[in-house]
Amino acid sequence: MKTTPLPAIVSAAGEAPLFKPGDTVIISSRFPVGHYRVPRYIRGKKCVIEAVIEPRALNNEEEGFGRNAGQRRHYYRVAIPLTDLWPGYAGAAADGLRIEVYETWLEVAK
Amino acid sequence: MTHTNDHTPITVPDGAPGYYEVMETAMRELLAEKGLIQPAEIRRQIEVLDSRGPQLGAKVVARAWSDPGFRERLLANGRAACEELGISFYDDTGLIVLENTEQVHNLIVCTLCSCYPRPVLGLPPDWYKQKPYRARAVKEPRSVLGEFGTIISPDVEVRVSDSTSQLRYLVLPLRPVGTEDWSDDELASLVTRDAMIGVCTIEAQERKVQ
Amino acid sequence: MTPSEELVRHLPNDIGGLPADRIDCMDHELLPWEKRCHALADVLDYHKILNTEEKRRGVEALGSEMIGRLSYYERWIVAFANILFQKQILTPEELALKMDEVAARHAREAEA
Repeated sequence: MKTTPLPAIVSAAGEAPLFKPGDTVIISSRFPVGHYRVPRYIRGKKCVIEAVIEPRALNNEEEGFGRNAGQRRHYYRVAIPLTDLWPGYAGAAADGLRIEVYETWLEVAK
Repeated sequence: MTHTNDHTPITVPDGAPGYYEVMETAMRELLAEKGLIQPAEIRRQIEVLDSRGPQLGAKVVARAWSDPGFRERLLANGRAACEELGISFYDDTGLIVLENTEQVHNLIVCTLCSCYPRPVLGLPPDWYKQKPYRARAVKEPRSVLGEFGTIISPDVEVRVSDSTSQLRYLVLPLRPVGTEDWSDDELASLVTRDAMIGVCTIEAQERKVQ
Repeated sequence: MTPSEELVRHLPNDIGGLPADRIDCMDHELLPWEKRCHALADVLDYHKILNTEEKRRGVEALGSEMIGRLSYYERWIVAFANILFQKQILTPEELALKMDEVAARHAREAEA
């Protein structure tokens, strides 16, 4: 279980998670050339952080080009209602998606 | 066949191998000749893969049903709890176990490729890796479930988990009614691969008369 | 007609939410070469000669036509070849010559 750092402690860049469970964030709307691991159907969508995944990990989009070491950041398991993803969704209003997204793909919701 | 220190060649069955099999054999032999891999490593990994199947997941589910402490640990850290039962993970993936309840029914998919909890379920079925399931599970899960003969009540939330990172998922199905005094082995015999993917549920049981 | 940039920006494997057919509950027992191919992927990943994400990217890079026509493990083995060439671990010539050798060996064994 992660605890809050002491007040005097400064963590490294990217070490502490930017978001916590319950935060509302937005999945970025950028469109990389070629390889990505964030599906199109969730781009630009608002989501709620369900969990911070530990431990930190490599950016899988960079791993895809052979990067096997380097800076690690957090993935987050996020929740999106299916009604937000699919206009006219015919199932139950409570039905939802959970998906993991890397920290560099998430932005604070304004 | 070229031999390295371990002299047992990897056997190939009768019948002319196709283009891709020839490619696989050639690539493996070249990599071994260059010392980048050993034939023994391939043989060992085949044994690792063959040792994994839904019977492992079924053991995990049965224990979770009968042992509340284990269930709690399983839901907190899926991989660690599996390792408690002697199910090692041969890769760097983590495992999140998704508990079905009276309010939530879970379903797992990998829309981008075919991520699947291989260390604990073995290799995925073809349908899991193909377009119809991958495209539709996140958009019309109830219709997909219906094609497997599974109807989930509208007042139960269907929750679809799409694997995209180093985490894998396993569904912990609802324990069926009528199994209250069953042994772990009897419970495990009820648990199917499809129930641990979430496309099926496990029906209520009548206690068998011995 | 969809702009060509959609081909660049939308990967062929990114199919979540696209229209699709009924599920065909097919499954097959892996052929021995397919299982060896899967084992090879795992061993290459252990050594980080070719990691699992590289394999995924390599399969995407085959493009929609090949993805549509090659089977699951056929896509893997071709992707491995491309990546190993890119990394200068194998050359196309080496692999082609070895493939000829393997095919000839099988032909001789079949006649024997």
